Amino acid sequence: MADVKKLAEQLKKLNELRGPVPQELRDRVAAQNKAQKAILDALKDGPKTVPELAAAAGLPHDRALWYVAGLRKYGRLADVPGKGDYPKYELKGSEAK
Amino acid sequence: MSNVEKIEVDALVVGSGIAGLQSALDLADQGYSVAIVEKNPSIGGKMISLSKVFPTLDCASCITTPRMASVSHHPRITTLTYSTVDAIKRENGVFTAAVTRKPRYIDEKECISCKRCEDVCPVYLPDEYEQGMGAKKTISIPFTNAIPQYPVMHPEHCIRCGACARACPKDCIEFLQEPAPVEIKAKAVILATGYETTPMTAKKQYGLGELPNVISPMAAERLLAPHGPYGRVLRPSDGMVPGSIAYVQCAGSRDKSIGVPYCSRVCCMYAIKQAILLSGSLPIADITIYYMDIRAFGKGYEQFYNNARAMGINFVKAKVARISEDEKHNPILRIERQEGTSAPEEVKHELVVLSQGLVPACDVSGYGLGSENNDFGFVKLSDETVSSAVTAGAGVFAAGTVKGPRDIPDSVVDAGSAAMEAVSYIRKL
Repeated sequence: MADVKKLAEQLKKLNELRGPVPQELRDRVAAQNKAQKAILDALKDGPKTVPELAAAAGLPHDRALWYVAGLRKYGRLADVPGKGDYPKYELKGSEAK
Repeated sequence: MSNVEKIEVDALVVGSGIAGLQSALDLADQGYSVAIVEKNPSIGGKMISLSKVFPTLDCASCITTPRMASVSHHPRITTLTYSTVDAIKRENGVFTAAVTRKPRYIDEKECISCKRCEDVCPVYLPDEYEQGMGAKKTISIPFTNAIPQYPVMHPEHCIRCGACARACPKDCIEFLQEPAPVEIKAKAVILATGYETTPMTAKKQYGLGELPNVISPMAAERLLAPHGPYGRVLRPSDGMVPGSIAYVQCAGSRDKSIGVPYCSRVCCMYAIKQAILLSGSLPIADITIYYMDIRAFGKGYEQFYNNARAMGINFVKAKVARISEDEKHNPILRIERQEGTSAPEEVKHELVVLSQGLVPACDVSGYGLGSENNDFGFVKLSDETVSSAVTAGAGVFAAGTVKGPRDIPDSVVDAGSAAMEAVSYIRKL
């Protein structure tokens, strides 16, 4: 594990060299966290398709799909087996109750 | 400049796609030392991201990964990934390349590729390996079968939370890492910098890349790959399984208006290959290929084309004049048929793939090595009837698509030829 003191020194020096973290990046990460939480919360009610998740999270369909792809890659949700025009997704592992 | 890393080898290979890998292996297996430089974080080039290859439908990574591993572990090959060749000069018959190792912001000697940094990183980014359709983290290993398996940090997207450093069991996150210069001395140079596809923005008539369900063939490859961004074939606008898919041939070739008047040689076959794979993944989907003429010139290619027809893939001889979309982002193609009625008509599909052409990835004439480019920016051979690898620059050889569009088998054969020419040149020194 990282030496806490060394890490603090590195991050301090990084801030001196590059300035503070840009507000645009902070805003983007905040929007990402909000969207991901909305998607995961919506899935607590059961499996949903991308358009259903987009509606629940207030996101454009393509953005909802991108977040679903990311959450799926990092093991937070999974495909639901089945047929249909729109596949469904469900919570996985520790996300599921 | 005392801290410049110095490497001395018999041959320098620039680029680690299938041609670069094969050249390096052919040289090293004959006892020559090689340095291979790759600008991306992993070796493997374009081929490692393909789903399957035509006409055999063999798994692309099953062919590429063993070569990647052989290069990576070969005792006579030094591999520099995530590194750029900034300049090469030739003096007294020796090439000196100035190379920069870009910082990954990790200690490569300590990293055990455990991926814990990636798991805890809270920032998601579009994954260029998945053509933007999937996500990666600010610190992440480029892709599942990348070689080497080192993560790369993108500091411009880092919120400096320190989670990666706290999670790393080897304490190898280095936020302050700097680019490192490397000097490579070699007796011969093999250029294997490959190709790029014509950009999605090339044609205003085809939507300038702004229509979400009009995608590139590389994106289609990723959709078809078993570990692709969605794990199945979905269209990017809304995650729907497409029931009607079209290919637009010559979307980036044989078109003077975008400066690519030549045939890119592989588009017909990769479109047919993808259409066959799609018909396997989506058995009830309608798949249509709009083409000018099908160029199936290699061994087994005509049979492959005939098989595709027999499988029910629609081949429509037509020019696509324009692509627009309806309110549900379904692409609408305005076509003029070249057979039967030629009245313009509009056809709706749910996903469209533009069969983009091939253009040079790198202007290698910028290195000033005496090798010349042809009219289209590809490396010109000194005499194509005598050798498929010798350029006008002494000791400079070319392998693969750096010389112009060609398929994978031709690139592999070419690479062997470039290696043999380089050996012949080195032995005469």
